Amino acid sequence: MSGEQPLPPVRVEKALGLLPEIEALAPLRALLVSISRPDERTLWSSSGPYLTLGKRGVQPEELRRRMPQAFHVITDHLQVLYRAYVETLECHQRGDGPGAVAALLRAGRGEERVGRVGQARAWYDVALRVSQALQDRRPEVESLRSLGELFLRLGQHAEGARHFQRALAIAEAEFDQAGAIAACEGLGAAALAQSQWAGAQAWYARGLQLAEATGDQRQIGRLEHHLGVLARQQGELARAGEHLRRARECFESTDATEEIAGVLNMQGLLEGQLGNEAAAMAAYREALAWAQRAPRDAGLEVAIRLNLAELHLEAGRFLDGEEEMRRAEQVAIAANLTSRLVQIYMLMGKLRGRQLDETGFVFFEQAVELSRTLEPSPAAEAQVYLEYGLFRERLGQREEARACLERAREIFGTVGDSVDRRRVEAELEKMAV
Amino acid sequence: MTRVVPTGPPAAPPPTPRKEEWQALRILAVGAEGGGSGGLLHSIRQWMADSGAEIESAPDLPRAVRQLGAGRWQVVVAVLGDHADDDLVWWVDTLRGASAAPRLIAVAHRPSMGLVLRAEKLGVLDVLSLPVRRDDFLRALRRVRTAPEAAVTLPDVESHAIGQYVLVGQSPAMLEVYKLIARVGPSSATVLVQGESGTGKEVIARAIHLNGPMASGPFVAVNCAAIPENLLESELFGHEKGAFTGAITRKIGRFEQAGGGTLFLDEIADMSLALQAKILRAVQEREIERVGGSETIPVNVRLIAATNRDLKEAIKQARFREDLYYRLAVFQIRLPRLTERGDDLFLLTAYYARHFAKEYGKRIHSISDRALDLLRNHAWVGNVRELRNVIERAVIVATDEVLRVDHLPEEFRGEEATLQDRPEGALLALAEIEARHIARVLAHTNGQIGAAAEVLGIHRNTLTRKMKEYGL
Repeated sequence: MSGEQPLPPVRVEKALGLLPEIEALAPLRALLVSISRPDERTLWSSSGPYLTLGKRGVQPEELRRRMPQAFHVITDHLQVLYRAYVETLECHQRGDGPGAVAALLRAGRGEERVGRVGQARAWYDVALRVSQALQDRRPEVESLRSLGELFLRLGQHAEGARHFQRALAIAEAEFDQAGAIAACEGLGAAALAQSQWAGAQAWYARGLQLAEATGDQRQIGRLEHHLGVLARQQGELARAGEHLRRARECFESTDATEEIAGVLNMQGLLEGQLGNEAAAMAAYREALAWAQRAPRDAGLEVAIRLNLAELHLEAGRFLDGEEEMRRAEQVAIAANLTSRLVQIYMLMGKLRGRQLDETGFVFFEQAVELSRTLEPSPAAEAQVYLEYGLFRERLGQREEARACLERAREIFGTVGDSVDRRRVEAELEKMAV
Repeated sequence: MTRVVPTGPPAAPPPTPRKEEWQALRILAVGAEGGGSGGLLHSIRQWMADSGAEIESAPDLPRAVRQLGAGRWQVVVAVLGDHADDDLVWWVDTLRGASAAPRLIAVAHRPSMGLVLRAEKLGVLDVLSLPVRRDDFLRALRRVRTAPEAAVTLPDVESHAIGQYVLVGQSPAMLEVYKLIARVGPSSATVLVQGESGTGKEVIARAIHLNGPMASGPFVAVNCAAIPENLLESELFGHEKGAFTGAITRKIGRFEQAGGGTLFLDEIADMSLALQAKILRAVQEREIERVGGSETIPVNVRLIAATNRDLKEAIKQARFREDLYYRLAVFQIRLPRLTERGDDLFLLTAYYARHFAKEYGKRIHSISDRALDLLRNHAWVGNVRELRNVIERAVIVATDEVLRVDHLPEEFRGEEATLQDRPEGALLALAEIEARHIARVLAHTNGQIGAAAEVLGIHRNTLTRKMKEYGL
């Protein structure tokens, strides 16, 4: 071999440290993460099993070469926004109020797609204001629904529920069936997120009743799916199975591939809970196959792979579990799914905990870092601290375990998550015994 | 680039399958009924008539997965879609989880050279072009019926237990290592262990510790490359509560934990220069300070460092401190690659096969001659760690007392199915030979470009260019 040795790549942890937290640089940050690669020398080294995003490498030259990709994303996004605005003006000019609202909502969804939820809210607020002056109230229902979903996404469940309540009241008054069904679905989701099982049950059942009246199989399937999820969380496994079966029938009749994958993913969880490992495995494998047929949804694929990995983990098949997690990590990094990466690293840390491997703490540290920086989420951070505490406890490091759990309790308290807070308190009480 | 068509004299066509030749062979044809597959299912049924094989079909991947879960299949014939590369990866992933590990025959419209070579690497039985020719199909199928594998008994292996680890090997290269351990063990000298990834540096460090004056003390290992850079200092030296965000309790560092014993710093070359300076101070002064603390704490530890990098090169590039190097390299041990250890590979295979058989409650007594050949011819970039992984996987999937080719990872099966499978007389273009050889080397090195470039004797930039050119 001849020639100068190429310079080693820059570690992602270092590269991100040099990138200011400026929103305008978000596409560059996303590109940096997605093109990062593990250093080939580490693959078989003793640090290989502990490889995290921060330890991957990035070549500045490659980043420079692929920068047009980031510019393309930015231009595309701005075009969506600018066009939506011009369309809003045109609709306003010709007195098409509903058209103007639809254009504003489209811009908001565009913002949501790239994770700019604050900006999305600004678009939705304008849409709501415009819609409230219209005679046709369906655009108002649609605006309220968009805001409701946004608040749920932000973890502000009560605020989300308030918007869905208003949407439902208007939709029912206007005989807007589709709007009423969507509002019931949102109210169910808000109740479910707050562990209000009876409320969630009532809203989903009401939504289902309305959907059955319209005969929309896809909508019926979605509500059956939600009811299945709810029943599983309540421990009513037979009922959950029944709802999921019906959901799948509805989706299969409309060839809704992504939804079928989602239902099968839930079926896998249910089978796992019932102790039917082979059936769970089959459900996940089929879910992955459907996900492959659907328009690529990396989030869904990662979710299925994580469940599959957890199944391997529970069965003590650590090698298979780790392989599946690494596949999920690859997909999550390529698609820049930071929140999923947090989950993946949490599970990897859990795996190391099962193996009583102290160095597994690096995964929790990486997960904490990601939940604080790339896509800040206090709820995710609290979850990481909870698992981190359990990991430390398993290794007999009680003082560290207690500190992590107390941190989790504190954050859950701030975000108003009483269910997880109680779970943490129970763990702390167990430790005190 | 499409697959190169043989230009030499045509190979003899495979004979029509004899009656019941394929008895008990179950073939699942997926997406072969229509949609541009040219009635492939109908053709397969015709070609296999009276052969005894059972042929079923599934319209698409999801339905095929359902059928795969419901029974055991030996061969899956899958028609790949417009995104052939993605489809191929999905199929390999899907079949990995299926019972009986069916072999895949992938069918594609004008498969590219890249697709063919990727398929080889993934252990796919063959890639056929649409419309599929009878001869190609039967030839691919015959490869399922492989040559018989003779069982080679695995010997009982003498091993030296090092805590939960073991030292296995009688090769001259390893005997030299044992002698060095015996020489340095009784002293308390600092040792630098060098060797490629997976050669067993930590095991050697533990052996030195157990043979040394501090054997009764703890052995504390720190993987410097695994720990985030901003946490490594506190991991090594400890910290006081509140020293930085996240310092939620006081922490005793690894130097203190290793007091009266050995501190093993693995992958030391991955440390920042600032931290190297602090390590140097700890080694020289035999005292440390916790992060955020002001108290000086004396430490009494034996230090063993390890690296898979060339530290002298790192010093030249100003990435490693020369003074620290000389402090660490008081005594050096260089570990051999697995490929330099001759028959140790067989002993290690035997040791791991028995070890994992016990762990997974199985009885493994032998390995097939063909499987052993594949192990012997593999490049082992990951050395013993890689071999350990391969044998553990093989033991998990083994169904009887013999480890066979089918139990080895897909890329090994791919290595078996290379140029020798090409029909006699079929001449290849020079570019195809080069592309295949590069793909083969890449498979050997697990896709590691640097290692592959070294094997091929070309610069990595040249290799990268060729990989792009051939769509690898």
